Amino acid sequence: MPGRPDRDGDHHLRVLDAAWDKTRQHWNDDLTRRFDTDHWTPLLGESRSYLAALRKLMELLNAAERDTEY
Amino acid sequence: MAEIHADIDALKGFRDALVRFRLEQRDVIARGDQEIEKTRASLEAKARRWRAELERRKAALAACRRAAAAAAAGGGPYGRGGPPGYARGGYAPDCSGLARDVAEAHEKLKHIRGWQRKVDQEADAFRGAARRFRAQIENETPRAEAHLLAIVNGLEAARGIKVSRP
Repeated sequence: MPGRPDRDGDHHLRVLDAAWDKTRQHWNDDLTRRFDTDHWTPLLGESRSYLAALRKLMELLNAAERDTEY
Repeated sequence: MAEIHADIDALKGFRDALVRFRLEQRDVIARGDQEIEKTRASLEAKARRWRAELERRKAALAACRRAAAAAAAGGGPYGRGGPPGYARGGYAPDCSGLARDVAEAHEKLKHIRGWQRKVDQEADAFRGAARRFRAQIENETPRAEAHLLAIVNGLEAARGIKVSRP
């Protein structure tokens, strides 16, 4: 059964982040730095920003359900 | 030309991880949207239930007040005496409990409507971040994957030339 989407998303991002760290140990040149600037940094930023917004929203949705259980 | 220091297998592995991430996050986005719709539907069902309950309680209160008015006028269904234990001062039915029930239903409905507004506002605010992330996942991430693939292909081609060189 799937868990909360924000938590799953956080987990997937941690896995990818670790994969990127590992890759950088084997890839260190101008192309790495360009890939980092053009692709990795924006992806990481947008992912973190989205997952933080999703986490906040999920907390609110759960509170709405709990608070209206009569 | 810039020098390239890369392990082809490490790049391929990262590209595979990126593809997996894109597919997983696409699922996360879809589930996030579903959660919003699920909560909206649930709150609407609760509001509908409490609207119906409010109407039922209002009707019971109105009936009680009509009976009280009739009893007070002496022409009600119980006449001047009224049923035992039913009347305040022996005549009018006590409708205060029913009035409290109506007030309670009002409050609960108002509370649910408040949550509905809050969920709508927060879902609207969330949409901006979701739209940007969706664009990132659907447009930018495939570009990053293609970029990595081009590097891998370039490295493999260069390695092939080196290997075949006498």
